Amino acid sequence: MNDETLLNELVQVVAIFKPGHHSCMPVRFKRGNGRVVEVSELGLRHPLPHGSKTIHVFEVTDGGTDYRLEFDSERLTWRLRMEADHYD
Amino acid sequence: MTEHNQVMPLIMHIDLNSCFASVEQQARPMLRGKPVAIVNRRTEHASIVTASYEAKAKGVKVGMKLREARALCPDIVALESDPAKYRHVYHKLLAIMNDYSAHVTMKSIDEGVIDFHQAPEVLVARGLEEIGYEIKQRLRDEIGVWMRCNIGIATNRFLAKTAAGLHKPDGLDVLTSENIRAVLGELKLTDLTGIATQNEKRLNSVGIMTPLQFLDADKITLQKVVFKSVVGEWWYKRLRGWEVDDVQAQIGRVGRQYVLERFDLSRDEVVQRLHHLCESVGSRLRSQNRVARGVYVYAKTHERQYWHASYLAPLPFFSDQAIYVLVERLFHKAPDGVREIGIHCYDLEEPDDTQLGLFADELLQEQSVTRAIDGLNHRFGERTVHSADTLGTGIYVKQKVPFGSTRYL
Repeated sequence: MNDETLLNELVQVVAIFKPGHHSCMPVRFKRGNGRVVEVSELGLRHPLPHGSKTIHVFEVTDGGTDYRLEFDSERLTWRLRMEADHYD
Repeated sequence: MTEHNQVMPLIMHIDLNSCFASVEQQARPMLRGKPVAIVNRRTEHASIVTASYEAKAKGVKVGMKLREARALCPDIVALESDPAKYRHVYHKLLAIMNDYSAHVTMKSIDEGVIDFHQAPEVLVARGLEEIGYEIKQRLRDEIGVWMRCNIGIATNRFLAKTAAGLHKPDGLDVLTSENIRAVLGELKLTDLTGIATQNEKRLNSVGIMTPLQFLDADKITLQKVVFKSVVGEWWYKRLRGWEVDDVQAQIGRVGRQYVLERFDLSRDEVVQRLHHLCESVGSRLRSQNRVARGVYVYAKTHERQYWHASYLAPLPFFSDQAIYVLVERLFHKAPDGVREIGIHCYDLEEPDDTQLGLFADELLQEQSVTRAIDGLNHRFGERTVHSADTLGTGIYVKQKVPFGSTRYL
């Protein structure tokens, strides 16, 4: 089964910036409906080139659901693009 | 040069395990430990590009239709491929490999070779096994904890790749003259890279049924009887650890193919998708700073008929429009009931701006327009400017992972 839900939702994100291989780590984000998601693991961060602009994709999980967050480095905005859960 | 190469093994082959599936499991922790299949389009007829180890354990194989995979493994999670993600991991792996040698060759998006022959002595003195384990750890630290790779070390590329396939996933093996017989004794002929059905038949025809018998075959038999060319001598050397595969592939053609998303498309809709492929191929051609003289177009029908046509132009061409005009003219003769289309440009050369013909003004105008469009697409993203004809095709004909070539990564 596959349970991906594609979204385009502006979210508020708390992220930690630190030196090292994973220099930016979203730790918490608040969705439009007010729900707060605590990030338990950053799966992968990768750039998504869009012309000369770079979108940074953060694939994260709260331990039950996987989320795809996108950070627009030009507009400095975060969007929730996908959630995927109960793969069973 | 009949004996096995006895020098210190200095070729390291690194192969990411079930690469795309592992990257998805890395990105989405909730998928770890679950059977995952990567497909280019999420339909039941799509072929599986990569399967995770969990899926492979249930009999799922690469190339199998998703429908067949579901019959074997009903809980398989099918994901559409995400090239940007895999490209990122490729560049991370390449960066790690470049830290150890200036002589790194990526064989495809998920495997590469480090040649330590000219590496600093102090590095080689550490031993390639230790370096191999360090690379494995760096993959986990710098990409993620789920990333694993197979590493093979030998005196040539062929044996290093063979060694990398011995203990999947996460193996590290060294193949030398001391253990080669023991290792080959455990393998089948088709386990060897480069030996598929046809070559297996050739070898079988002279009584060579196992890799050990292949190793023991004499050079003359391989050269004159089995392969009937210098290829036989290459195999003779390859199996003994001598390097014959350190060759730089030249760019021969640039192409793309597409399996239609529906099989009831009208002729015009098929041509629109063909036009989209022309724009994609034109962009790739120019990104390699090449112009082409030849164009080849093919179509496969529902009845498994293969149709093709080609044209060699007197003057080189480079623009999307020029490619499309030629392709469309050829495609007029294509049969109906098409299920797959493809084009490629061949007879490539570097552009020669100095040699302008009678139609120099028109050519310069075409060059300027093409450069302006490429510039806009580079600045604002792929397909910001394209023909109106392909307005509706972008959601179907997506850019997919280029296998076998790392040229466009």
